[in-house]
Amino acid sequence: MLASLFLIGTLFAAPQMSIQAASQTIVEDSADGRARAVNRMLGGIISYARWPGKPANMPRSMCIVGAPQMTNRIAPGGPTVSVRRMTVAGITDDGGCDIIFMGRMPAADRLRLIGWVRSRPVLTVTDDDAACVHGAMFCLDGRRTSLSFSVNLDSIGRGPLRIDPRVLKIGGSE
Amino acid sequence: MTELPVERPAPEKTPERAGPRTTLQKLLSRFHFGITLFAVALSGLTILLAGVTALLGSADRNLELAAQLGAYGAEPALVFADPQAAREGIAPLTRIPGIARLRVLDDRGKPLTEWTSPAKDPIPLLTGIFFPKPASVDVRRNGSVIGTIEVWGDSSTLTDYVRIGLLAGLVCLLITALGTIFLARRFEYELVKPLNEIATVAHDVRLHRRFDKRVTPLGIAELDRLGGDINALLDELQGWQGTMESENKILAHRASHDTLTAMPNRAAFDEQLALRIQSAQSRNDRFALLFIDADNFKAANDNFGHSAGDAVLVALSGRIKDTLRKGDFAARIGGDEFIVIIDPLGNDASPDDLASRVRAGVARPINLPGGDSYAISVSVGVAVYPDDGTDPTALLTAADAAMYTDKLTSRS
Repeated sequence: MLASLFLIGTLFAAPQMSIQAASQTIVEDSADGRARAVNRMLGGIISYARWPGKPANMPRSMCIVGAPQMTNRIAPGGPTVSVRRMTVAGITDDGGCDIIFMGRMPAADRLRLIGWVRSRPVLTVTDDDAACVHGAMFCLDGRRTSLSFSVNLDSIGRGPLRIDPRVLKIGGSE
Repeated sequence: MTELPVERPAPEKTPERAGPRTTLQKLLSRFHFGITLFAVALSGLTILLAGVTALLGSADRNLELAAQLGAYGAEPALVFADPQAAREGIAPLTRIPGIARLRVLDDRGKPLTEWTSPAKDPIPLLTGIFFPKPASVDVRRNGSVIGTIEVWGDSSTLTDYVRIGLLAGLVCLLITALGTIFLARRFEYELVKPLNEIATVAHDVRLHRRFDKRVTPLGIAELDRLGGDINALLDELQGWQGTMESENKILAHRASHDTLTAMPNRAAFDEQLALRIQSAQSRNDRFALLFIDADNFKAANDNFGHSAGDAVLVALSGRIKDTLRKGDFAARIGGDEFIVIIDPLGNDASPDDLASRVRAGVARPINLPGGDSYAISVSVGVAVYPDDGTDPTALLTAADAAMYTDKLTSRS
């Protein structure tokens, strides 16, 4: 009983440091292993996010902006995510994106986008910020042989989006 | 003294008991200990079995719960296929006692991470019997199984419980032993003591002939019955003893007394004379022995018949008794022969005075049963201790001789 309380306690006690690289997913040793790993990771992250006021298993739309660095075949695991390519202006005008995947893009665009996302229920993921210091909530890191992700607790904390603390823990501790 | 033909049944031989004898207290103590030990062992075993059963149930639930927790903690790790995260997800479980091994399997059954307790399994056999299979929980995500958590228990919880159980059992056993000793002591007080009392009475009666001893009421029905029977037996014994004593007295009197005149007989006189000599010797005193013989007694018998002779003897003995002072002794030692011991003998009294005193005492005529009168006279011989002899034979001979002299003198 005590042990289970302790377990729950450790799971929910989110670390107070803002950014850490942590998770290391096993990358399969095949031609499109990386693409599959990225998509799997994206699917996992999306599945642990909750949009306030929307049912859990509702279809989500993902908007890709900039040039993805890890793979061009972004199609997150799980059947309920539709992927579109958009521009920064398109995203800020349209507002129909639940998830924004940020590839390589000019710093000004990125700042504008981060600023716009703030206080909106939008999940931001980037694959071009291994240190995870530029404002995206989740940062994929493929520099090493394995794939990993970090979380930016500042960004998550500012938005109304709810992320499962277990994922924060995975992405937040070494 | 005649030997009494006392009916004595041959004592029944008590059969020898095989093996060493034991005391009642030891017997009771052993009995108590056996019963209490049995009770303690039985209840202890029951409690232990019930406890083990309950413990196994809770241990199983514990493993199940641990697996559930592991499933919750390791779920994201499975989603991201992240062994490091899986290790961290199950880390809290490794601190739960009684878990031997943990395994996180992915959806294809491949282990993502594994952990084995560094603590050694106390009794692997018990683990094999009671935890043969791991508690296994599937990790589900959006309705599909993405992995499995397996948790193996070990026997440490069980051994802890059994160890404490055995310790408690040992303490119980100790208390049992003490309680048994206490109970046996009480029993000794309440049962063995009364029995000892009965035994003491029986012993006293047998050894010291204390037939007046009785067993007091003991307050235990069975023992009181025994005591009552013993008391009744003692009553009978006492009665027999009393009868026997009085009969003995009568027989002793008969043996030492003449039946006709009720005077002491020759045997009693011999005894008495020996005593008097001994007494006079120690006191350095004197006493006189008077030998008295009726004159012409044969003529009385012949003239008046034997019954008249008997009457003469009875009367004569009565008159001789009348002449006695306190301390004197008279006996009939033959048909018409009497002896008187004058003891103590005053210094002034001369033998002749003594003889004439007797002669005068018996001189009156005797009335016979037939109405006739018989004039009686006696011859008296006196011997004085120690002047005429210091042993019975010498004294008697001297007295006899003196009596003959007297008889001859009176005839002439």
